[in-house]
Formats: sequence, C-alpha cells, structure tokens
Amino acid sequence: MKPVKIAILSLTHGHTRKYFQTLANNPSLEWVAVSAESEKVRDIFLKNNYNVPCYMSDAEMFDKHPEIEAVVMASANYKHIEQFRECARRGIHILSMKIPTFNMEEYSEMIKLVKDSGIVCQVELEMHYNPVIGRIKKIIADKKLGKINSFNATNITLSPVWAFPWQGVPEESYGSRVALSPGNKRFRGGSLCDHPHVFDMIRWLTGSDFDYIYAEVGPNIRTDIEVEDIILVNGKMKNGVSFLFDPSWSRLEERLEVPGPGWEVYPKRMEVNINISGEKGIMMSDCFGPNVYHNGVPNDRYTVQYTYFDEWIGLVDEFVHCIRNHDTPKINLKWHRKTIEAMNACYESVSTGQPVFFK
Amino acid sequence: MKMDKKIEQALTGLLQKYDVKADRGLNLMPGWNFIGKELLDSDVPLLCWRHNRKFIELKNLVSNNVIEHVCMLRFCSFGSKEQSSLESLIYKELDLCEFLGQGKVISMHSVISDGLAGNIIVKLDNGIIGSVEVGAQVPEGSPYTDRHEIIARRGVASDLSVDTQVPQSSVYTYTTEGKHSYKDVDNELFGFDENSISQIRAAFDVQKNPGQVEELRSQHSHLSLLVKTAIKSNLKQQKIEVK
Repeated sequence: MKPVKIAILSLTHGHTRKYFQTLANNPSLEWVAVSAESEKVRDIFLKNNYNVPCYMSDAEMFDKHPEIEAVVMASANYKHIEQFRECARRGIHILSMKIPTFNMEEYSEMIKLVKDSGIVCQVELEMHYNPVIGRIKKIIADKKLGKINSFNATNITLSPVWAFPWQGVPEESYGSRVALSPGNKRFRGGSLCDHPHVFDMIRWLTGSDFDYIYAEVGPNIRTDIEVEDIILVNGKMKNGVSFLFDPSWSRLEERLEVPGPGWEVYPKRMEVNINISGEKGIMMSDCFGPNVYHNGVPNDRYTVQYTYFDEWIGLVDEFVHCIRNHDTPKINLKWHRKTIEAMNACYESVSTGQPVFFK
Repeated sequence: MKMDKKIEQALTGLLQKYDVKADRGLNLMPGWNFIGKELLDSDVPLLCWRHNRKFIELKNLVSNNVIEHVCMLRFCSFGSKEQSSLESLIYKELDLCEFLGQGKVISMHSVISDGLAGNIIVKLDNGIIGSVEVGAQVPEGSPYTDRHEIIARRGVASDLSVDTQVPQSSVYTYTTEGKHSYKDVDNELFGFDENSISQIRAAFDVQKNPGQVEELRSQHSHLSLLVKTAIKSNLKQQKIEVK
C-alpha cells in the first residue's frame, strides 16, 4: 500500500508526543512536515531530532508541501473549526483530537465539511485500540456477565494545564467562557473536557445511548486554576444500565512546562478503570495496568512506569485503511456527536443542579 | 521441535504488515528448548522474555539511570512441571540477571532439592549480587508466578507493586462460571498469552534484524553453561566460578 503523506498541525495538544514515534516508524505513513503554533513548541519539537521540517503556520506548510494527504490535528479545541475548514478546502484527511468542538453548531458544520469534501475524518479515541478494552468487549460479547446492570468508569489523571496552558483557559478548551453555575467563579473547560473516553466507552460497550445524566462539581484541588478539576457524573442509559463516571484531574502533578519524568506526584499519573455488574457476576478492570514500579530519579517518589502505550498503532492503522479504501472510521464525527452532547449535558446539570434528560 | 502454528501465523502477519523479508529456514524457538542439544545451523535460541514489556521497562529504568548504582537483584520464578523444567526456569532467570543487571554471571552457589526447586546466589562481573528462587512445583492449571526486584543505592524497581505477592492481571471476573483473570498486553497480538507474545515479538525482531543471530547462539551457549554450573554447584556443595 502506498504510504500516506501526513503532517501534524500546531503541536499544542497533550497527545502530540504519542504520534511522533508512530509517524516515524509506521511504514504505511510518510511523515512530511509539522506546523508549530509558537516558537516554544517548535523548539521543544526540534529537540526530538526527527528531521522533519517545522513551519510556523499551517498555510505555509500546506503551500510548501502540496503532497500532504492527511493531518493529525494536534491543536487546542478552539482551533479545530478553522483547521477543519482549511483541510476540507484542500481535500486533506483529518485525524481529529478527542474533542472536535463543544459548540454543536460548529460540530454540525464539521460533519457537513467532511461530507461535502469527501475527506476521511477519524476522531482520536484511542481506548478502542487498547487490548484490555478488547478483552472487556469479548467478555460482554461472550455473555460472561449476562445482562449488564451497572457500569462504573474512571478516567482520572493529573492536570496537564501547566504543560498545555490552553486546557486551563475556558475559551480555548470549552470554546467560550461560561460559568459553571450562576455566581460560580469557575468556568467550563477543565477536567471534564479532557476525559471523553468513559462517555464514549459506555456507549460502545453497552450498545446504548444516554437516557439522563447528572453531574456534581467539587471544590478544586488546584485553587489557582479557573476551570473545574473535580467532577462526578452518574445517570442511566436508555437500556436501563446505571452508571457512575469520575473524569477528574484528581492526581496532583509537578508544574512542569514539558511533560517528563517526575511529572506525577501520585504514583500513577493516569488511570482508566472499568467495573461492570451484570446478572451473572461482576468484572473489574484496569486498562493501563499492571506495570512496573520504582522510586528513583528524579524525585525518589514511588512511581508507576507504564509498560503499554501502543493504542496509537491501531488507531493510525485504521485511519490509513480508511483513506486508502475510502472507508468510514468506526469513531467518526457522527458517532462521536452523542458523546459530546452528553458532556455538554454534564455542564448543564452542574449549572441547574438537576439531571438532564435526552430525547 | 517446531513453532506452534498459531504463533507462526501471527508472526507471518507481523512480517507482512511491516514489510519484513523473512528467512523461512530459521528455527526460532525459546532458548531453553535447546538446553543439552547441539545447535543446528538453522537453530536460533530466542531470549523471548527480553521482549516482554515489563522487562523492557525494568531494563530502561536501569540503563537510563532512573535507579542508580544497582547493588542487588531479587528474582523468583515458579512454574508447573508440565509447563517448565527447573533448568528452563534457571536458564531464563539467569539471563534476566544479566539483562537487567547489565553484567555477566561470574560465580554462583546453588542449592537444589529433588531437581524440582532451588535457590541460587549469583555474582555479576560488575559486583552486583542476586538471588534466584526457582520451582517447578506449581500444580497444573495454576498460574506461572514470578517477581523481579532490583535494589539500587538510589531507588528500587520491581514488577510487583508494593504490598502484593503475586503478579496482577488487567481484568478480573467473578461470575457464575467462577473466578477468572486476564492480562492482555499487546493489541496487535490480541488473544495470545504473555509468553506467546514474547516469542512472536522475539522471532519478529530476529527476522527484522538478522545480525543478532550469532549473538543469540553465543548467549545460549553461555546460559547452558550457567545451568550446568548451577546443577554442579548443588552437587559439589561449593560456590563455583564461571569460566
């Protein structure tokens, strides 16, 4: 298969680093260029020595490299709509970050842009390519748990705002400045916006959509950021499954500008754990464990050293397959819309203090 | 001794996906399969465990100086007679001593009982000492269990988390069918157990980088000597220098 000529846009998303190795090693891709949103992110990128040209604007990169067929849109959420318009205009396929936008008018425009231009757009929800999720899916398909009654999932991390400041700026993360509730001094755009996976996974694994959803925000652990960092969500699916999610930034971090060793204060910087209760029994899972452990450099703190982070291989394989075979990715904009609507409903629930019902 | 058909199919899939030209004549099997046998030209004794993610990361912790100045290794490995001979467990664990300790075993004192279980103290040429506890007395059907702890002047690294005695799994189910656990570590090779994945990855690596074949054969000879030395040390009730 002819390799897909690909570029990365902006370099400001927290997942950017995950793509470097995949783009450099995957023989089905030819990594052509990157565009950097600032000199700071450009300099960080150049230190990796990937020998890929780096431009200071998307337009300059596209003009100099008309051969680019696809991009990883590794930018802040508020930038996505402009970049979607530009890519659609140029007929460039898009691997979108996990939040295309929270603005549902923009979301509809994105769907239309993709449809009208005929490009492939895949949303980066990498958990679909995690082997533990593969096992959970099989356990459910094999009916080991019988009818599912309850689903509990965590997507708990440290806060990335010190390394990726846009994630703490309401306008750049959520897309606008909206108070969490009347009179609240904090705004939408924090940990909830960083953690769509659990909302997506329950739909994928139960085959059902949200019936109603309730969310409660706690006092911030980090009192000097203006977005939420502690939030709990519960509700029911249309098939009667009750659920509880924890999409908080409840693990403290060192305030590093570039993620690296010693970022975490709590030993495990990120977890996605899923518990399911069904008529035949229960299942407990850790999608990023077990691992290996140490208390060495730099802070002599007990630390989880992850042993598996290869979700990007399967994700990129599917993207390439869809481009070359004119196929639709399983996680496409239409599929993902209900996940984004559910996350928006969480903010509405926080604001009103009551559950939000879906039609 | 031939590669399992499913393992061979998975290897072929990886070779095709990554466009690697394979030498189909190679006999790519875990090294302990060749203990006590003369190697044929086509035999490649794989050090599969070196391709297990947990050992790759433990090695990274040592070689990247995340833990500094390693002083001691504490390893243990329990398998069943049906799955592992005592010699195969010794072969693997002594290779891990060298892989993770980044030195060569220069002496050992070993105590073995009934050819089924034993305890070995080794010394590496960089001064690191290590204990290796091995046993092939796990009842059939029970899980293989191991532990690898690396103690340094700055920091300890381990494949077991603090306050646990047995390796953890990714998924546990408690259902009307009983208790089950699952550990899935490789999405490209989903469905294979950890040992099979390590063998596939090791075989793939040899096909991708065939220059390592001689080194693998040489390490096999060395490890075979270490296994013999362990048995001899027990019989002679002496510490034995490895030459």
